[in-house]
Amino acid sequence: MVGLSLGEKHFIKGGIDQNIRSDGRKRDYYRPIFVETGVIPQANGSARVRMGATEVIASVKAELGKPSALHPDKGKVAIFVDCSAVAEPTFEGRGGEELSAELSVALERCLLGGTSGTGAGIDLTSLIVAEGKICWDLYIDSLVISSDGNLLDALGASIKAALANTAIPKVNISAAASADEQPEVDISDEEFLQFDTSAVPVIITLTQVGRHYIVDATSEEESHMSSAVSISVNRKGHICGLTKRGGEGLDPSVVSDMISVAQHLSELLMSRLDSEISAAEAEIGDDEES
Amino acid sequence: MEFVNPEGLRLDGRRPMEMRQLRAEIGAVARADGSAVFEMGNTKVIAAVYGPREVQNKSQQSNDQALVRCEYTMANFSTGDRKRKPKGDRRSTEISLVIRQTMEACILTHLMPRSQIDIYVQVLQADGGTRSACINAATLALADAGIPMRDLVTSCSSGYLNSTPLLDLNYLEDSAGGPDVTVGFLPKLDRVTLLQMDAKLPVDIVENVMQLAIEGCKAIATYIREVLLENTKQLEYRRGL
Repeated sequence: MVGLSLGEKHFIKGGIDQNIRSDGRKRDYYRPIFVETGVIPQANGSARVRMGATEVIASVKAELGKPSALHPDKGKVAIFVDCSAVAEPTFEGRGGEELSAELSVALERCLLGGTSGTGAGIDLTSLIVAEGKICWDLYIDSLVISSDGNLLDALGASIKAALANTAIPKVNISAAASADEQPEVDISDEEFLQFDTSAVPVIITLTQVGRHYIVDATSEEESHMSSAVSISVNRKGHICGLTKRGGEGLDPSVVSDMISVAQHLSELLMSRLDSEISAAEAEIGDDEES
Repeated sequence: MEFVNPEGLRLDGRRPMEMRQLRAEIGAVARADGSAVFEMGNTKVIAAVYGPREVQNKSQQSNDQALVRCEYTMANFSTGDRKRKPKGDRRSTEISLVIRQTMEACILTHLMPRSQIDIYVQVLQADGGTRSACINAATLALADAGIPMRDLVTSCSSGYLNSTPLLDLNYLEDSAGGPDVTVGFLPKLDRVTLLQMDAKLPVDIVENVMQLAIEGCKAIATYIREVLLENTKQLEYRRGL
């Protein structure tokens, strides 16, 4: 990315101070969001989300596996993020590995809860097929195609949309199986269960530039942030995860303020995403009928 | 297994000389200098071009021509089974090299000395013919970036199953064990720039199968030209001309 001159930096900071950003938005406005679901036909669920110029694709693949011995009643979910060189030339080869790892871990923290699996935004118990023996492993793969700031929010939204689009096949287990035998499974090709996404949170990233914080920063604005806090909030307004990035320290009162702002914004973002996702799903329904 | 049934239809209902449906979109990646999405049936590929720009690695800089670099990656979800390692495996390295050599041959590199052109191709969905789709997408992306080229490079694959030459193989036909011929073609200059084949093929059939792929390339070139023309009209319209 081409460096910014001192004049440009002052312009951006000054604009944010006056509540008018470079593209005319106010500090708490999101860029236009477009959602398209079902973009990867061979995956169980997929979605493509565009926030301004940032574009990401998420896909969900479900495979049968064995639950871990510590949590025999829970399925497993793994989230991987891949930053494609198409988005930034610096992501070529292994250049994007660090950012990919950081985003993957932040997403897992926001969506999957603690190590024991409690408090997860995704209900892991719904993935169990035969307790202790067979469960669904969900692999959520995200690809960043175009990067113009606010990757975490876009990735969170794309995962939510992909999960809403996910259909897990019904599994019929043969009844006659002793306690230590692997039961036979018959994966149905016809019947599918829609994944329940009512508890999946959205992620709101607040970036502090100067004395104010903005939501949905472009990469220009991100390049001189002092710190950023990403908060994931679910439908009930509960906080599901928190990540702070950036070197500068934050006053604790600022953090509390940011959290309440995020909670307020999450309602708007959640309803916007819900309407976009249902519009996208309805489009698929129309295409199938016609 | 029967790849061409007695009525002459293939597994997906196509005729032997029929190509899959093509779809192209220019300018998918806003930040890139040029970008394009190219679909051939279920194979979907996105290409982005960054350049000409300053050479990052001075030791590779050339004083009389531009440096062309290419990276081919497949997304985790592009194939039926999840791929664990999207980059760096041997197949990706080979295809990166193939695409680079093909595009380098047609870019007028002597017009941009001491600079670098990066072509990044990402496979979103793989259903056979990814190599060809990538070359076609790269051509569109280079044209979108305004990089001077000798001609449009188009690519298509063909094969030979059940004693019938087939055009544009999908994944099932490709993995059937029959020959897979990939041709890269410069339509205006009428020259073959890339030719690859695997498996065995009788010598008297080779010419036939290759000619079929060349015909496919010409058809793709016509489509690409249409897409570029339409794109230019849109740009004119937006500029108010």
